[in-house]
Amino acid sequence: MKMAQEPENGKKIPLFISRSHILTDVNKTGSWRFVRPIYREKTAPCSTACPAGQDIPRIEMFFNQNQFEDALNTILFENPFPSVCGRVCFHPCERVCNRAGLDEPVAVHDLERFIGDAAARGELKPGLKKLPAKGKTVCIIGAGPAGMAAGYFLSRMGYSCDIYEARSEPGGILRWGIPRYRLPETVLTFEIDRIKQYGLKISCNTPVTHDFVEDAKNRYQAVFIACGHGRSLKMNIPGEHMADDGLDYLNRLRKGDTAPSTTTAAVIGGGNTAIDVARSLVRQGTKTTLIYRRQKQDMPAFKEEVEMAVEEGVTIMELFSPVKIEKHDEEFVISLQKMKTAGMETDRGRSRVIPDGGPGHQFRTLKIFTAIGAEPADPWLSPLQKTDATLDLSHCTLADSDPPLLYGGDLTNAIQSVPDAVASGKQAAMAIDIFFKQGRHAITDRLNSCRVGNGPALSMARYMGEKQRNRHEDVVSFEHINLDYFPRESRAETKTLSLDDRVRSFDEIKTTLTIDRALKESRRCFNCGICNACDNCRIFCPEIAVTLHAGERQIDLDYCKGCGICVVECPRSAMELQEEG
Amino acid sequence: MKEVLEGSHAVSQAVRLAKVQVMSAYPITPQTHIVEALSEYCADGTMDARFICVESEHSAMAAVIGASSAGIRTFTATSSQGLALMHELLHWASAGRLPIVMAEVNRALAPGWNIWMDQTDSLAQRDTGWIQLYCEDGQEVLDTVLQAYRLAETVNLPVMVVLDAFFLSHTFEPVDIPGQDLVDRFLPPFSPKIALDTSDPFAIGQMAPPNVYMEMRRDVQKAMEQVLDIFSGVEQEFLNIFGRTYGPVERFYCDDARIIMVVTGTAAGTCRQVISDLRSKGEKVGMLKLKMFRPFPVNLIREDLGRVQKIAVVDRNFSFGASGIFAQEIRAALCNHPGHPPVFGYIAGLGGRDVTVDTLAEIYWKTKESDAPEDESVWVGLVNC
Repeated sequence: MKMAQEPENGKKIPLFISRSHILTDVNKTGSWRFVRPIYREKTAPCSTACPAGQDIPRIEMFFNQNQFEDALNTILFENPFPSVCGRVCFHPCERVCNRAGLDEPVAVHDLERFIGDAAARGELKPGLKKLPAKGKTVCIIGAGPAGMAAGYFLSRMGYSCDIYEARSEPGGILRWGIPRYRLPETVLTFEIDRIKQYGLKISCNTPVTHDFVEDAKNRYQAVFIACGHGRSLKMNIPGEHMADDGLDYLNRLRKGDTAPSTTTAAVIGGGNTAIDVARSLVRQGTKTTLIYRRQKQDMPAFKEEVEMAVEEGVTIMELFSPVKIEKHDEEFVISLQKMKTAGMETDRGRSRVIPDGGPGHQFRTLKIFTAIGAEPADPWLSPLQKTDATLDLSHCTLADSDPPLLYGGDLTNAIQSVPDAVASGKQAAMAIDIFFKQGRHAITDRLNSCRVGNGPALSMARYMGEKQRNRHEDVVSFEHINLDYFPRESRAETKTLSLDDRVRSFDEIKTTLTIDRALKESRRCFNCGICNACDNCRIFCPEIAVTLHAGERQIDLDYCKGCGICVVECPRSAMELQEEG
Repeated sequence: MKEVLEGSHAVSQAVRLAKVQVMSAYPITPQTHIVEALSEYCADGTMDARFICVESEHSAMAAVIGASSAGIRTFTATSSQGLALMHELLHWASAGRLPIVMAEVNRALAPGWNIWMDQTDSLAQRDTGWIQLYCEDGQEVLDTVLQAYRLAETVNLPVMVVLDAFFLSHTFEPVDIPGQDLVDRFLPPFSPKIALDTSDPFAIGQMAPPNVYMEMRRDVQKAMEQVLDIFSGVEQEFLNIFGRTYGPVERFYCDDARIIMVVTGTAAGTCRQVISDLRSKGEKVGMLKLKMFRPFPVNLIREDLGRVQKIAVVDRNFSFGASGIFAQEIRAALCNHPGHPPVFGYIAGLGGRDVTVDTLAEIYWKTKESDAPEDESVWVGLVNC
């Protein structure tokens, strides 16, 4: 203690206070502790909802810390298609985003698209390494998103891959089914070329037969069949042959054939393909009516797509089921049965529909397209003969055969989406790798150990034993976020083409965010459950017991008295208190 | 430059001109407008300062104690329940010898909930070691905040600048806002006598055993004893630069007065009118406006009140089981002064009730017509009793 005296106006102001230079390290406050804080990263809800299991909070963290290549590589670790998925994924991540509890979900898909597009412009370089060659070759049938993803993950793990594709170019539904206004071809081509750089061999114009597959089992160490649904479903009604196939129409558009324009058309169906067909027709100047046998709200198509179709002028007739198609002169007449709802379907969460018993309706149009779904082109494309040894996984099926034969993509997926196709390719790649390393019996447990949180999505980072990927499976909920650190801020809105421009061209509707807006949007992410080095734990610790060495934070238990302030002040639930054992 | 300003914003302007570096406060009516403006100054870059948002007044005071310990000029503001919640840390600020300035808007304490004018909140903190200065109008508030920093930083004691809820905090008046150059001349940058320094770490405020505690407390009092003298010097410099002065007490028609009314805050403005009216009727009455309550200016009270016939003290506060607090202090100041006059204590205007010209006139006539106080405290203007 010191006496300090200061002169002022000729007088002294006495200023005697306790002051000490003696260190307090002798006072080991750690002895007071009965709970201790630990760093424990948890799983963000977005990651569990992402079929591809992307580590979204870490992607956004890297992004807002200007570590753009780390952000890109974090995506590419789990998904080879950021630019594609940033556009066509139905972003289930955003539906469970904790930020919605505060204002609006983070625009995860826009950020993913931004990162993917920056890579496509050559501004970011992917840096994922290939493991040493394993001396095994896998045969993949179908170069759609599932096949390409499987080839990508297997190549990275050191396998050689031969992909056989029936059409003239790889991409599958991405290339032939999704219209340009949703997915420009250059975007797809760039991401497919990036996958090719891992050395996989793609043989196009090579349709395969059952015999080919049987032969492949001898020539290859594993076979993955992911050729999608090649045959459209039939309505089984008279006159059906006079209708055009919707998917064929989309294929022709993609090839550059501008189908002969017609002034009116009817599209039958309610899935994404039906909506794509209807919106494409509108762009060719056709007055288009979509006929769906259930309620509009029960359409399997993405809600946002349905809304845009309506904006663009597609008329939707709900609760009408076609029963007959006839031709009268130049016109087609579709006989329609009005339907009504009758209770709920037990397992699908949609209304059951039955004929309403009233008189029939007739709808006249110059052209008819059907898009009511598709199925495998041949029966051998399904793993029909299941045995006890057949492994039904969430996104693929491993048949009872040696060498391993797997079915995936749309052939097995419950939800037929691009990220689910990626999930399928990833699961197949992991299953094949486990098969070779540990045997068939180990597959289920090993895959389960790589799950993201409590969902079906798998983490390749976890599978490949990446550092800092030891997230606990506990999912961070909104209540775990310390909102004091997050002021409300509105979600990024992407610019879209005007309605006039939309219906006149196949130009892409939405634009990519600007860098400033993207950075601002990434800052909205709570980074649920992961440490982004905000340093609150260290700043707030009253005992200065949080230390920082080479970027790693540690708790000095000699002095941590277990007050829990660090845990409370961690904005994102990357810490928790544990009772002393 | 003169502007029509709300009393609260007169405080905010003074804090801006004082170039305060760290502020922390929790909103409470009727104080909120003060820090609302300050947070805007911080946000829009008008002030180069940090506004620390906190979850309570206890934390607000803790935050400014921390900043002040680091040698930073600080400010906070509160009212009523908020001040009561700060109580523990008020001791810490004063005995820690930290020159914090706080604006305190006098508001009644609950229950029943009452957001209006009442002095009991600040007077209940009289033993915490804070200098207390009560203000009459917007100009005095602005000037006193500037003076408070000079005073606090010289004696190393915290200062509470007190203003009436609504009658002052929310009333718009023309206020002269001085230019920054003049203020800079009056109030140089803070040069702290105590400042934590990361390059030479030390601890302050830790254990003080019986062999030193008394000496520390005596030093606080020694510093308090010099406040009056230093305040006069500060006021003189202020007068030289800005041409305005207020004094720790202000005498109004006191020279030949037989009865002197002692008032504080905005009631002084009303009382000036009452004195003028009574004087025009030939009454020998004066007013003593008490600005400085801590330290209590005992010698000035003895000089100014020791020779009159009667003293009437108007208290807008009350100490239960005793009397009005200003009356108590004046009685205590006079009791060792031989031949002092009787002190008539009046309680008026609690919880925002108006103290009108008629209220004060009634107090005067009651005092004149009584030979001796009928009670320690006479409650004026009661409705149901």
